[in-house]
Amino acid sequence: MSIRRAYALDQWKPQFDDFVRRRDHERALKTIAVAGFSGVQLSSGSGRWAPLGNPDQIVANFGSLPAFSDFVRACALDGVAAYSVDLGQAFHEDLRGGADPGAPADRETVLARATWFADALAAWECQTIVVRPAPSGAAGAADEAGIDAMADCWNAVGEVTAQRGVRTVLRFDFLSSLRLDDGWDRLLEAVDPRYVGVAIDTGELAAAGRDPLAELARGGPPVEHVVLSNALQADELNEFTRPGAEFSVRQSGGERRIGRWFGELEQPGLVDAEQFLRALDAVGYDGWVVVNTAPSPHPATSALLSGYHLHRTLDPLVRSSR
Amino acid sequence: MTDPTSETSGEMSDNRAIRWSYMDHWRSAGPAGPIDQWHDRASMSTFLKQLKAAGFDAIDTFDFRFWQILGDYGSVANYQDFVQQHGLERIVNTFHAADYDVRNYAPHVPETHAAILEDFRLTMDRWSGIRLDNIIVMPATLYYDMEPVTPDKIKTTADLWNQVGELTLQWGVKLTCHHEFFCGIQSQPDLDLFYASSDPRYVNLFVDTAQHCIASVDPVDFYRSYADRVTGFHFKDTRNVDVGGDFRHRPDAEIMAPTTDKWFYEMGTDEGLVDFEAMMRAIRDNLYRGWITVEHDKANKSGGDYAESTAISRWYAANVLSRIYA
Repeated sequence: MSIRRAYALDQWKPQFDDFVRRRDHERALKTIAVAGFSGVQLSSGSGRWAPLGNPDQIVANFGSLPAFSDFVRACALDGVAAYSVDLGQAFHEDLRGGADPGAPADRETVLARATWFADALAAWECQTIVVRPAPSGAAGAADEAGIDAMADCWNAVGEVTAQRGVRTVLRFDFLSSLRLDDGWDRLLEAVDPRYVGVAIDTGELAAAGRDPLAELARGGPPVEHVVLSNALQADELNEFTRPGAEFSVRQSGGERRIGRWFGELEQPGLVDAEQFLRALDAVGYDGWVVVNTAPSPHPATSALLSGYHLHRTLDPLVRSSR
Repeated sequence: MTDPTSETSGEMSDNRAIRWSYMDHWRSAGPAGPIDQWHDRASMSTFLKQLKAAGFDAIDTFDFRFWQILGDYGSVANYQDFVQQHGLERIVNTFHAADYDVRNYAPHVPETHAAILEDFRLTMDRWSGIRLDNIIVMPATLYYDMEPVTPDKIKTTADLWNQVGELTLQWGVKLTCHHEFFCGIQSQPDLDLFYASSDPRYVNLFVDTAQHCIASVDPVDFYRSYADRVTGFHFKDTRNVDVGGDFRHRPDAEIMAPTTDKWFYEMGTDEGLVDFEAMMRAIRDNLYRGWITVEHDKANKSGGDYAESTAISRWYAANVLSRIYA
């Protein structure tokens, strides 16, 4: 087993006007590094208050893509592990608005954005773009034609990013419309593993009532990226279909006013992180494990506790598999 | 993070010249407001895990925690066992934070010396269940309780600490002095007289980089002058020098000075006044081998976060200072 440890920056940016200053970025990256992680996972965003949200903003803030990479390394990290990107979100930078990966008319927009991010990742010698395969549940279930269109889109994206040395992996999330009518399973059967892999996000799967271990064991596109997160609650009321679920459910907790859908790895929750790491070891997983504890009211504490947890659980596995 | 094998290697098999301890100031959010790690075992465990994750080797503590330790863990040794279960080596130093009062506990008042000596006998006995390197004291009362600070008062103070230091050595623990910027002995001339008047066999120096800096004493020069008496450090930063006499502010200068909301900061930021790299070079040049303690008390004031400050300071130790001397 060869696992590289990274941390997702999501928890440091709960609101669009947070985490905008260089000093904040520096302190977050140093915290991640000292907690025992060697990489960082970025998440997409748009506009000047999302300085790390896309290649244009990174260049605007750091002068160039390599300069950002230098900044990351100066904080004692090896580099960017992955960019987690919602290619369907609206970007001010290209003035194209939202895009639906399942709509053929939006294909060009999705591909252009994939190229935009993949070029940046290639400049950083980062090999993974993590994409959100479908919009939230309010979009409704995809029929057979919709799944085929979505698969075609991601195959095309995967082909384009592969030309830049970047692998496209699909990450299921608990608000995804793919929860409807077995959409996730149907999509994975439809995509071409030559172009598309899977990112398992343990907490997102668990919050949607799915078993991360079963996802790891399933056939189909290979698991090429792991986000280790712990769901404290499942969406038992199926609120993922509510309009604006990203805000009313994910951030505000839905009808049950759930404070934190996702917590620390060591908290009693729906994911047994240690068991999942053993399972990764058993299948000989070779790649990044990105811890994500967002949202966290205390990001530094979450990073340090996660580092401790991996130190106690992953290190013995690594030693035993040498 | 440190190599996990360090959990079982211990100090004796480790050739590092410098080991890093953390002075255990901490606050975190409880359901009803801020709590410290002494709230219960779970909060202590969370605290210790974060120190271990950041790469610290050990902790320092305050000996006034004795009663909480007795209640929660049964004994000081049991508490240290709990610390060690989290991969940290031990408790290195304890800070004896006395409640100075000129009526019954004032180093410059000879009539109070018997009570102070008895206090140390009791304290050393309470902590005898573990190995400690140092017991740290502020060697004088608050400045305003000692002024005018005269040579006679300083010599009387030195006489007391000679006796206390001789006493603590009976338990194998060094008495070491930590000069807060608001204590009675904090200016360069007074520091010089104090160390000239005290016995090097019994009275040692614990350099707090921020406290000296605030008091306009260059901590690097001061350390170089007294390196042979130094038994430890608080690596802590400040962004303000006391130029307006805050050190004698009544009733308190540490957290109530009108000029400065927050005196202390974690090391490793551009805003700090302490030259830690120069400090580390001085430590290297003097071939110091032993513990350096990181401290940033009141880190949570003005919107700060202990966990983040601890991570930033430890990052700086690991990535900057350790390249100078390790």
